[in-house]
Amino acid sequence: MTAAVSAPRALAPAKRTTYWSRYRQALWLLTTRDLKVRYTTSRLGYLWSIIDPLLMGLIYWVVFGFIFHRGGVSEDPYILFLLSAVLPWTWLNGNLSDATRAFRQEAKLIRSVKIPRSIWILRQIASKGIEFLISLSIIVFFALITLKAPSPWTLVYLPVAIALQVLLTVGCNFIIAPLSVFYRDLERVVKLGLPVLFYAAPVLYHLDIGNPVLHFLYGLNPVAGLLDLYRGCFFPQIVDWVYVVEGTIVSLVIFTIGAVVFRRSIPRVLKEL
Amino acid sequence: MAAPVISVDGVGIQFQRDRQRKRTLKDMLGRKELRQAPDEFWAFRDVSFDVHAGESIGVVGRNGQGKSTLLKMVAEVLIPDEGSVTVRQGVAPLIEITGGFVDDLSVHDNVYLAAGLHGKSKDEIDDEFAEIIEFAEIKDFVHTPYKHLSSGMKVRVAFSVVSRLDEPILLVDEVLAVGDRGFRRKCYARIEEMLAEGRTMFFVSHSDGDLKRFCNRGLYLDKGRMQYDGPIDEAFERYTTDYA
Repeated sequence: MTAAVSAPRALAPAKRTTYWSRYRQALWLLTTRDLKVRYTTSRLGYLWSIIDPLLMGLIYWVVFGFIFHRGGVSEDPYILFLLSAVLPWTWLNGNLSDATRAFRQEAKLIRSVKIPRSIWILRQIASKGIEFLISLSIIVFFALITLKAPSPWTLVYLPVAIALQVLLTVGCNFIIAPLSVFYRDLERVVKLGLPVLFYAAPVLYHLDIGNPVLHFLYGLNPVAGLLDLYRGCFFPQIVDWVYVVEGTIVSLVIFTIGAVVFRRSIPRVLKEL
Repeated sequence: MAAPVISVDGVGIQFQRDRQRKRTLKDMLGRKELRQAPDEFWAFRDVSFDVHAGESIGVVGRNGQGKSTLLKMVAEVLIPDEGSVTVRQGVAPLIEITGGFVDDLSVHDNVYLAAGLHGKSKDEIDDEFAEIIEFAEIKDFVHTPYKHLSSGMKVRVAFSVVSRLDEPILLVDEVLAVGDRGFRRKCYARIEEMLAEGRTMFFVSHSDGDLKRFCNRGLYLDKGRMQYDGPIDEAFERYTTDYA
């Protein structure tokens, strides 16, 4: 055993930061890194997180509001009705499609630094989530124009909806991210599946389904309950609590499955990268 | 004697021979025992050793005997299929050191990012920033996007960041072969300085000279087993007799 013959600089006493403080630090660094990259590489920077959903919202507003006259499947003002679902959808959509690259994109870093693996999922959700929060300013703008403000009571739905969305997205991405390391096809499947989900979920419309069986089945899509909650801020009368409960249960189930899949597949993911 | 800082116990890992083989969900998620597929092979098995504080260990062996794989397991960026790896102190990994760097961000931002990901607080980085830049000899390019640096400069910044980490364990994988001659000499000096401070080192290299210079204990990996664990010179002797 070699003892240090001369010690020019004493080793700093091993500082034991806790697991969670390091976890938070790494998550924060990677989240801000994403935003910083987006900001420094484009002229409009953060404005893009507003332009994208705003444009989509306006397109749907024109197409379905004026061309199709939306036969009684929505509320007024339609633009608020639309945006209150389009914005969370943009967040969800972005995260589910990004998840297919969660590991491959960061392969070099994952191979060289020990960082808790779930951060690669959470950092995507966090950085897109911040953009979502920024994009909420569009809703504020249109609420001012249309003079429809949420009551302080129903505004409570917003944080609940965000929490539910994080739960659902983390669960889905825990499955999508590791599997897409092994199956490249998954990237295409997700790309095709997302538009299907978009039209199947109540983004552009809101249905009152009479048939109890169909009603139950429709609610199994967790996005239905989720969007109802978001919309509840402005339109509390349309929140279907059956959907919300079903959506929460389904999200919890997906999260549990996701956690197991993620845990089990990590050793293989690391080998594959 | 104090508890070892690294304990490797009965470790083995298997890889796939045929990457194209169709993988079913069942065999990915199934229990470990069921997962042994016919076309998988063990890179090595049954490797056990303890490392005590202040030791510096070199791994010797031919290509493909799992030297880097073993190092990655100690860095805990790879998880063994059997056995366990326990690392009881903080680790500064000099493995693919440019991995955490982002092309589009400036050198300044990259230093804060990389050092932060290795667990340094912002205040600590503030204190050492000048030192890091000076060591990398890159003062004029602090605000240049990382992608515009030459590849040698990139490595210099990265080495400078990782070698400033105050972690008691140092893992080194072949990084010394980079940079120009002057910088290489500086790297060597820095590593010697760190060893003199009493750090533990785990070293993988193909350079006999480097291994003999820095290490006092050698592990010799061959044919999927650990063939020898002892003084570095003896480890080399075994290696040379097997593959003269």
